[in-house]
Amino acid sequence: MMRLVLLFLLGVLLMGCSGKKVKPWEKENLAQDIMQYGGLHPEVKKFEAHVYFSKEASRGGSGVGGGGCGCN
Amino acid sequence: MQLSKITAIAIIASSIVQAENYVSVEFLQYDESDSRVSVSAPSLSISHDIGTDYNIKADFVHDAVSGATPAWKSDTGSGASSRDDSSSSSSDYSYGKQKFNEERNAGSVLLTKRFDNRDELYTGVDYSRESDFDSKSVSVEYMHYTDNSHNQSVSVGASYAYNEILSYDYYDTGSGASQKETSSSINAEIGLSQVLDAKSSLKVAGFVISDNGYLSNPHASVIRDYKMSNRRQSGDSRPDTRLAYGADVKYIRLLTDDLSYQIGYRFYDDDWDIGSHTINNDVYYKVTENLTLGAGVRYYAQTEANFYNGEKDFFSNEEFASSDERLSDFEALTYKGSMDYKFNDKVSFNLGGEFYTQSTGIDATLFTTGVKYRY
Repeated sequence: MMRLVLLFLLGVLLMGCSGKKVKPWEKENLAQDIMQYGGLHPEVKKFEAHVYFSKEASRGGSGVGGGGCGCN
Repeated sequence: MQLSKITAIAIIASSIVQAENYVSVEFLQYDESDSRVSVSAPSLSISHDIGTDYNIKADFVHDAVSGATPAWKSDTGSGASSRDDSSSSSSDYSYGKQKFNEERNAGSVLLTKRFDNRDELYTGVDYSRESDFDSKSVSVEYMHYTDNSHNQSVSVGASYAYNEILSYDYYDTGSGASQKETSSSINAEIGLSQVLDAKSSLKVAGFVISDNGYLSNPHASVIRDYKMSNRRQSGDSRPDTRLAYGADVKYIRLLTDDLSYQIGYRFYDDDWDIGSHTINNDVYYKVTENLTLGAGVRYYAQTEANFYNGEKDFFSNEEFASSDERLSDFEALTYKGSMDYKFNDKVSFNLGGEFYTQSTGIDATLFTTGVKYRY
């Protein structure tokens, strides 16, 4: 599985090298509220993450910040 | 388009996090079916730019938790909670409910430093306190743009958390004596963000998490030697190390001028034999300039820990044993809906609802509402 992940990462890197570069003035769409990872309200995502952390046995992949909790 | 507007868009679009000054108040209400767990949690978030090179963000949350979680309970008891039951060979056991009340206060501060080339350094501290659990953590992450157009960035981050847990010996000797345990956790993550075209981008991360110390659930128990004369209730016992790794991929695309779609997949695996797959889908539709609606579905599936068993007649003298159903084999689905309304450029209101259902039998609703003031 890890090999697949590394292969995918390499593919993304190559895609970035070979693809057409998007100029800064072409990024108006990417700057929209609805184009942000995690949606319009990151605070709500923190609530969601806390619920999943307390009810499920796996975590990770959404950044290194965030404190612990006795709920799990 | 005026040059100043182009410049402003370029600066905004090039940042991983859209820095802005705001104060946000949110409220969460979480309720599980069958009156198991209820959580009311007001929170406050403040984000403030200090010049053009720094941003500081602070979050505070207060959780009031109440309910009754499933736990082994002696049938010969007087109706008292299982915490009050000492070992008894004449007892039979059933999965009953254990009432509890808890309050949690947590806070975090994140400082962002922006460099001349727009690279960013994030430094954070987190603190969480409950009656029987304290957690302190520090984190640092560096995000570096690999090209002048800011289409690709890599990030490297790590965090360290130190936890203090108060455990009570309700089961093994029945003394009820408390003991302070500790655990720590190191989380390292490397990520890559790539703008694919003017309407889509991709984010990939790989992570490793190492937990050490007291990782058992101090509130959970197992039944040992159920078929023997010395049947007894014993504390949940887990290995004191846990090594996990995984990967997370997110893709976002603007489908029309007003409609975006994002999909995410996370793979997770650890040396307790827990493996999971998470698929998350969200769409956001800008109905008007002021009103945005969101909807989403999340699917989660995990395999059980190699020391988990939910039956009361399974365990005997195993070193590690747990009947905590969060370590079991299950699937979960979340259905999400949200609404965001901007009264003007400064004030917005948000409302969200989610329904979470787990194959273990847990159903839960999650409602959030809040107001954000930008300045």
